[in-house]
Amino acid sequence: MNDLMIDAVDVTRTFGDVTALDRVSLRVPRGTVTALLGHNGAGKTTLVNVLSTVLAADGGSARVAGFDVAAEGHRVRARIGLTGQFASVDEQLTGTRNLVLIARLLGAGKREANRRAAELLELFDLADAAGRKVSTYSGGMKRRLDLAASLVGHPDVVFLDEPTTGLDPTSRLGMWEIVERLVDDGTTVLLTTQYLEEADRLADAVTVLSKGQVVAAGSAAELKANVGQRTVALTVTDADDVPAALRALRAAGFDPIHEGSHRAITIPVEAANALATVVRALDTAGAEVAELALHEPTLDDVYLTLTHQAAA
Amino acid sequence: MSVTAVTRSTTPVSTRQDWGGSSFPQQVWVLTGRSMQALKDPRLLVMSLLQPLIMLTLFSQVFKGMAYAPGFPRGVDYIDYLMPAILVTTGSQAAMWAGAGLANDLKNGALARFRSLPISMFSLLTARSVFDTVRNIIQLSTLLLGAVVLFGFGPSGGVAGTVAALVLALIVGWGLSWLFMALGVWVRNLEVMQMIGMVAVFPLMFASNAFAPLESLPGWLQAIAKVNPLSYAINGSRGLALGDLELTPIFWAVVISGIIALLGGFAAGRGIRKP
Repeated sequence: MNDLMIDAVDVTRTFGDVTALDRVSLRVPRGTVTALLGHNGAGKTTLVNVLSTVLAADGGSARVAGFDVAAEGHRVRARIGLTGQFASVDEQLTGTRNLVLIARLLGAGKREANRRAAELLELFDLADAAGRKVSTYSGGMKRRLDLAASLVGHPDVVFLDEPTTGLDPTSRLGMWEIVERLVDDGTTVLLTTQYLEEADRLADAVTVLSKGQVVAAGSAAELKANVGQRTVALTVTDADDVPAALRALRAAGFDPIHEGSHRAITIPVEAANALATVVRALDTAGAEVAELALHEPTLDDVYLTLTHQAAA
Repeated sequence: MSVTAVTRSTTPVSTRQDWGGSSFPQQVWVLTGRSMQALKDPRLLVMSLLQPLIMLTLFSQVFKGMAYAPGFPRGVDYIDYLMPAILVTTGSQAAMWAGAGLANDLKNGALARFRSLPISMFSLLTARSVFDTVRNIIQLSTLLLGAVVLFGFGPSGGVAGTVAALVLALIVGWGLSWLFMALGVWVRNLEVMQMIGMVAVFPLMFASNAFAPLESLPGWLQAIAKVNPLSYAINGSRGLALGDLELTPIFWAVVISGIIALLGGFAAGRGIRKP
């Protein structure tokens, strides 16, 4: 069951002089979540549009759910759900009518379409608003309906393009829970996001895009281990102890940084067990420590490092 | 990554409950139903029925004097002369609204979703065309009824001739609607579409034999009116309504409408997939 639901090889797409995608490859196994991370204009949406057959690629090839996006677009579209950055729902129709319309276009009979619409509206906590025009919905409700709309046909692969941008924290949390539930049901998800926290929480794998190129790919943990830097942050009780502490740390082979707050010292370390060495060095110096903590690198660090490298 | 890896999983194990997709007629049916929602808005319905009636009232009263113009057929009431032309021009205006309506609809979020569904985007254009034709039938029928009741429209072609004139106006409007839908698909801007409609349709309406006989127009306008395809349609429609059947203009009106529909349909079909 580890077959690839998304398999893109060297996908390239240009818009005039702008290369939106430059030989991008991406592999997403069934039932997993991959996050596409990148700034605005990094190529995330273009890649989602190519994979969902909305845009044609200029070069490379891609298969989604086993079908070629260029040659078998119709069959790809029968197996995917797409939730774009802007709610793709008809504001003039009610929530129910929106979902029924899609189910009918997918070939469902009237009764079956109504049943599926009711089921999804219930699932997305929209049952009370089912009979209201979408134009009266709040932003969060529209997003939920939009996601519901992309799930009408029980898709194998779901594309979520910045699903939580502009949502309040509660709605964002709700969206995350829905994504997790989808994956539990075996759905494969490709989501784009600018929020590292989101990728960290949801994604099995992260692909970082910058200027249309893949600059890094792997699990969040791998990326952090490879690119990120662990640091020990400590605060001494007495500012007078700082010079002695710095001397002892340098003697122990560290490269401590003392800037900003005058009692704080930051030490980049290689491995987690360096903490003991730090403590011993401080003990030798006789410096009394008020606070000591080991910081794992965040995806933010990884992201900034990578996109900075790519830009340089 | 090797090429073999790419082509490996050709038979996807589907977890979805498959509804099997929908056929083209089904898609057109469902999407026409979506468009029909607009007709449920009483404001829109009343306005779209009122507008041609107002035009009819104004034209029939303002241009009444044309009945004394050179070349005006003897013994024909101006309303009987005007009405078949009004059917054609109203049908053409409806075509322009079809394009504007489509341009507006393309901004609707639902359209973005349709592109990622396993449906033919041409079904969307067809549905739009069916909807606009139905709306046109309602509009033109109301117009005819108004003309009979308010202005005593009663051409010598009788009911059969009048209905035939209505059908011809519908065909011309339908053909033109594909041209405007193609424009709407590529322009995608309601305001620009309305401007194009004003600039293209109004001159064509007036530079024709719609309101006055060709002979009464200044020379340069006559030259334009003679080659204006709307003049064929108006001649055909007028011949049918007045019981003065002439097959040549009807033939050309239908053929030109068909060609325009074909070219417009091709261009619109190509453009609508663009996100």
